[in-house]
Amino acid sequence: MIDLTQPPAASARDRHGRGLARLSRLARLPRLPGWLRPGRLGMPVFWLILLAFIVAPCACFLVLAVSPRLFDQGSQWFTLTYLRQAMTGSTAVAIVNSLWVSGAAAAIGLAVGFPAAWLAARTTLPGRRWVSGGMWLALLLPSWLPALGWERLVQPDGVMYRLGLDWPWVTHLIMGPFGVVLLLGLRCVPFSYLAISAALNGLGQEFEDAARVHGATRFQALRLIVPILAPAIMSALAIGFAESISDFGVAATLAYNSNFPLATYALYGAIGNFPPSFPLAAGMSWLLVAAVAIPLALQARALRGRSYAILSGRTRQAVRRRLSRLEAVCAASALALFFLIMLGIPAFGAVSGSLLGDYGSSFTLTLVNYRALLAQPGLTGPLERSLCYGLIAATVTVVLGFIAARLLSAARRTKATGAMDYVLLASVALPGVVFGAGYIFAYNLPIMSTLHIDLYQTVQLLIIAYIASSLPTNARVLVGSVSQLQGSLCDAARAHGAGAVSAWARGVLPVVSRPIMMAWLYTFCGVFLELPLSQLLYAPGSPPASISIEDNLSNYHFGIGMAQAVLAVAIAFTVVGVVLGGYRLLAPAGWRRIGGTVRG
Amino acid sequence: MNRTHSRTRLRLLAGVSGAVALSILAVAGCSSSSSSSATSSSSLAATASSSASAAAPSSSAAATVPLVLYSAQGYDSAMSKAFTKATGIPVSLDDNSTGPLLTQIEASKNNPKWGLLWVDGATAFAGLDTQGLLLKGFEPSVAWNSLGAASVPADKSYVPTGVTIMGIVAYNKTKVANPPSTWQALASSAWKGQVGMNDPSQSGPTFPLIAGVMNYLGGVSSGEKYFTALKSNGLIIHPTNGPTLQALTSGQINLALVQSSAAIGATFTDKNIGIKYLDPATLLPSALGIDAKAPAAEQAEAEKFIEYVLSAAGQKVMQSGDPTGDSLYYPVINGVSPLPALPSLASVKTQTINPYTWGPQEAAVNTWFDSNIVR
Repeated sequence: MIDLTQPPAASARDRHGRGLARLSRLARLPRLPGWLRPGRLGMPVFWLILLAFIVAPCACFLVLAVSPRLFDQGSQWFTLTYLRQAMTGSTAVAIVNSLWVSGAAAAIGLAVGFPAAWLAARTTLPGRRWVSGGMWLALLLPSWLPALGWERLVQPDGVMYRLGLDWPWVTHLIMGPFGVVLLLGLRCVPFSYLAISAALNGLGQEFEDAARVHGATRFQALRLIVPILAPAIMSALAIGFAESISDFGVAATLAYNSNFPLATYALYGAIGNFPPSFPLAAGMSWLLVAAVAIPLALQARALRGRSYAILSGRTRQAVRRRLSRLEAVCAASALALFFLIMLGIPAFGAVSGSLLGDYGSSFTLTLVNYRALLAQPGLTGPLERSLCYGLIAATVTVVLGFIAARLLSAARRTKATGAMDYVLLASVALPGVVFGAGYIFAYNLPIMSTLHIDLYQTVQLLIIAYIASSLPTNARVLVGSVSQLQGSLCDAARAHGAGAVSAWARGVLPVVSRPIMMAWLYTFCGVFLELPLSQLLYAPGSPPASISIEDNLSNYHFGIGMAQAVLAVAIAFTVVGVVLGGYRLLAPAGWRRIGGTVRG
Repeated sequence: MNRTHSRTRLRLLAGVSGAVALSILAVAGCSSSSSSSATSSSSLAATASSSASAAAPSSSAAATVPLVLYSAQGYDSAMSKAFTKATGIPVSLDDNSTGPLLTQIEASKNNPKWGLLWVDGATAFAGLDTQGLLLKGFEPSVAWNSLGAASVPADKSYVPTGVTIMGIVAYNKTKVANPPSTWQALASSAWKGQVGMNDPSQSGPTFPLIAGVMNYLGGVSSGEKYFTALKSNGLIIHPTNGPTLQALTSGQINLALVQSSAAIGATFTDKNIGIKYLDPATLLPSALGIDAKAPAAEQAEAEKFIEYVLSAAGQKVMQSGDPTGDSLYYPVINGVSPLPALPSLASVKTQTINPYTWGPQEAAVNTWFDSNIVR
């Protein structure tokens, strides 16, 4: 392992000299108390943000399960009735379903995502340049779109039957637990792919070379490499589990229509009922929060006390393995099939929804929905707004996410970082509607109005909520790469005279620029089409794109709504293309070189 | 040494990001204090309305504040613009489905930020009224027709603006020659596996449909038996009107129990869809209700809005704002005719359910339905 812990003597002297100069400058300034110095203020402020914008809203919602009267949602100051209700009857069934389905989905995600990442990063797979883009496209699609596509394909009297394929067993298979696990599992693949490929990009050739030099076979070399990737693997499993258990798109479509209840839908039912039962929803949320302890405990157990710092400025470019013709054909076919299912079926769902003018009763394609959409007044406002919200939220989230990832991946885990790890993952498991309601309870208290802090139904609170809800996933996506950063990167820059910020910008940023860009894009895409938070928190008069789409869908303009969804996804993907292209054209060659590969 | 540097860097970075995040809050604070310059369409309008709400008791009733309208109607945007144009009063529109709107109202009931609610279904309004969330005693000076008069509540806590029908069957004309005309016929084995309807926990107008059936059959338990029989006969549940109609046109079902405006709107795009009213069909009023805790100035504006909606100009906007959807309603004002696409109600037997009897039962009935019929 390369570790620049001992800087060259000249540089040390130089640094010493600068340090003295700085000290003498500081000596002329009045001394601030220790806790007020900028270096010490940072972490408390960061924790304050986490507490105010993640912990407080979630806590305000969760406390309703035992004390509904606190927020005027019942008469009891203390009760266990709702927790008991959440653990019995149909809600218990839904929660058990969610638990095993999420576990299976996370495993499927890893089983497909790992080989895909390895093939794209370390082999001469034909078309490997398209794999990353395909994964991003899959990631930015809302999860209800693939579900819709599958339903249109296999439902009774669906496309499959109209094509003469009378396969009721396929209908039963997809419209049931198997289909739900498959769909959520496919949804987890991009998460696993991103986590693993980020780690593979940071894993230079030196480890494999070292193993091979000592006589290891390729398989034995793999046995060396896989444990090095443990943080990324665990990260992929944890995020897959948490994302699946909080997914609403599949729960409300395929699972719902298959009479296979999942926890998020049961929770939504409790809130969507009139009058809503927030305490019961809070009771179910407690169980979801408790559920994420499982992957987190496994992750902590697997990684305890080990260091995975491998990413440094001297990381060697990895050598791609040349695939034989047969291997290349098999691998390319498998990935092509994967993308056909992953992207082809949602595309089919979107096309069948937006290009059929008569609610899908015929196969006649028409642009009538797109024409009607373009004729609607106020079409561009919500799209512009969502673009703006996405840009701001993604930028702030990535900064906060990087810090969280850095803390989470610190070699010495304190109780505080352990708590943060749990808080971040637990909040991933909470559906957006819980977050939204929690924000109303926390930020619309009468005392807030008395203090003239009226944040509810403002753009500011909506953006804060977007950031807070994206931060946990963002930190989890980044932690794989950040955990591989060596401290020597910054030290080397400092040794050459750079200041703290400059050392980070010149020593660390180039190494993590690619994962940061990917995390930014992921957050942007998530925020751009986010619905549950927007529904509860958007500022009246300023609807974002998702509200506008939902407005069309719920007002019987199904085709127009689908056309609008397709347009929004196209815009989001254009932004992805522009950012990726911009990085390729504008980023310094050294930034792009790190994590690159050469042909073997 | 290295660890110390690393920690300092991280703290600095955390400080910078904290400052960025807190600046958003600062902007929020600034915008909430500069509320007087709010406009109807800007994001600041909501902030402005919030602070206006807080400051309202001391402000004069004549001051113009943005009217915060929560609405699930397809024509609400057109109506807001027309009202602002006619009166100069800015409207901040929260255009959402009924479910999220009611969730917002219930979650914020100790510090409400809405001024006026406009959704379908009197039961929801009765539920809000029994919690003391609606302003009572306001009735606009209009000439109600029989539909309107039947929909005005005794305490005048909400105002009907139109009526649609639940208990209408949309059917596929190419496959169904004689659609059922009674609830009993709908449950017969002839229609096994062919009937679809919406889920009341997702579709606002569906609880009034279920309550209507229960009311017609004599009570909750009779209604539960009826829906259990429908389920045994292969009833298929979809979330809302759109997916249920889509199931009809794609051939998954042949009979769809949906809201009249949705069914009639669907006939515009699919000529194979036919409409049949069941005996009896349940009237589903759309209504406007004013927030009991809103500032006096906003309540006065809300009353003006209601009067505008029920004026000749407002009715024109309602009938043109969403011509293939919510505009397909039966008017509640004398002298206003329904759109030509709507069949006459003269030959249709209808019933009105008491929202104050059925509203309080909504949560229990929906929970039963979800546990026993949907799953």
